[in-house]
Amino acid sequence: MSATATDASALRPRKPGPSGVLIAGLAAVAAFTVWAAIQIEFTLAPLITNFTNGWEIIQEFLTPNWSFIFRVWEAWVETVAIAIVATFVGVLVGLIFATMASRVTNRSNWFYRVVKVALSMVRSLPDIAYVLIFVALVGVGSLAGILALIMFNIGIAAKLTAETIDAVDQGPLEAADASGSGTISRTRWAVLPQIMPNYLSYCLYIFELNIRASVVIGVAGGGGIGSVIDVQFSRFEYANVSAIVVAIFVVVMAIDQLSQYLRRRFV
Amino acid sequence: MIELSNVTVRYPNGVVGLDDVSLSIPDGQFVVVVGLSGAGKSTLIRTINGLVPATSGTLSVDGSEVTGASKKQLRAIRSRIGMIFQSFNLVKRTTVMNNVIMGALHDVPWYRSVLGLWTAQEKELGYTCLERVGIVEKAWTRASQLSGGQQQRVAIARALAQNPTVMLADEPVASLDPPTAQMVMKDLQRINRELGITTVVNLHFLDLARAYGERVIGMRDGKVVFDGTGADADDAAFERIYGRSLTADDVLPGRS
Repeated sequence: MSATATDASALRPRKPGPSGVLIAGLAAVAAFTVWAAIQIEFTLAPLITNFTNGWEIIQEFLTPNWSFIFRVWEAWVETVAIAIVATFVGVLVGLIFATMASRVTNRSNWFYRVVKVALSMVRSLPDIAYVLIFVALVGVGSLAGILALIMFNIGIAAKLTAETIDAVDQGPLEAADASGSGTISRTRWAVLPQIMPNYLSYCLYIFELNIRASVVIGVAGGGGIGSVIDVQFSRFEYANVSAIVVAIFVVVMAIDQLSQYLRRRFV
Repeated sequence: MIELSNVTVRYPNGVVGLDDVSLSIPDGQFVVVVGLSGAGKSTLIRTINGLVPATSGTLSVDGSEVTGASKKQLRAIRSRIGMIFQSFNLVKRTTVMNNVIMGALHDVPWYRSVLGLWTAQEKELGYTCLERVGIVEKAWTRASQLSGGQQQRVAIARALAQNPTVMLADEPVASLDPPTAQMVMKDLQRINRELGITTVVNLHFLDLARAYGERVIGMRDGKVVFDGTGADADDAAFERIYGRSLTADDVLPGRS
């Protein structure tokens, strides 16, 4: 009995030790982090030294001026309106680009490559960069915000939807091809019904992102509640700012919940 | 009229799907193609409508050359060839009516297709085709809610909506239970007789092949090794086609 047990344990391979490559990799990551911190002279000291002179500001922050939330009612409406318009246009254009960015629905090799490169260029800029560009082009205001978010939304919607198209059941496509239907008809009827639940879910997600982006959009000159924050900050009206921040938190949470409910209900 | 002369299909991975096949299928004939999986049955059917391009040889359907046809010509040829699949290939998340009208999409301009704006005429065509397979009451049901047999009949209605002269069926009953398989085969036979549509069906159950095949073509390793009437296709002929003795798995369960 004991002999067989030792025989068996002799056959069992020992757990291999950690690989040298892993250890070297971790050491390299640690070294890079230390180097980067030294480069920017990273220190948490200002957090403590500035805390005392910031106390008055913090006190103002802790007593939000609630009535201010409703005094800027129009800015709220503008924020939601920007998100709705930008989402609607963005996801629609994004859907069209998605069909061109999947080999399933785009059978031309060069066209597929061109669209892929174009979309990765669109995605390479963050939302705030688009606001700065469009503010330069059309001036400060909600139009700049809408155009910026549309570009941002096209990038996301096209990428997510194209990946969903890649994974559809090919059977209906074969049937459409066998009956001689054209590229657009085949995409509309053999692909779109299959991706619809996922696509609607992406639309809701993008709407959420757009509401959340409203602060950044406004601060950069794209209109909406973010521009109110910008103005109040520059006037040192911290009680107003904190009321708006709390309200944004509530609105984003509410829209998150609503969109989750819609997804469960309809998708 | 389907004409193949010396058609060879070699797939990019080097596998030979069809090996120098010459066949002539006259109008209105009901042909059953039998053979083991990998014998080239599916390749034969998919070569006829150009889903699989022929490597060499010539192939024509109703006088139109399939080999060497342009994309546009190929679409025109395919629009007259209905096709039925083992896995039905319906779009499950839409209505039966939309699925059937998909068969007629080659005639619908793209902007109407995108919006799903069917004319009264197209809907009428949908109803007529569904009536032919006895399932018109399901016209506005989602395809996902139908049973396998009902889905295959919708697929037949979709093929009929093309107003085809040729009907190709690739293992149409392989995923169905025996009674449903018989029903679907009867539908195909009735459509062949009533509308005079040339029909080519791949099967691997030899009793179904004998019962429905006006003509039986046996394939093995990409070659035609048997070509005769259903009556000619006795057990000895099938053993030649299959290259082995017959087993109980070769007939539809619950029949013989």
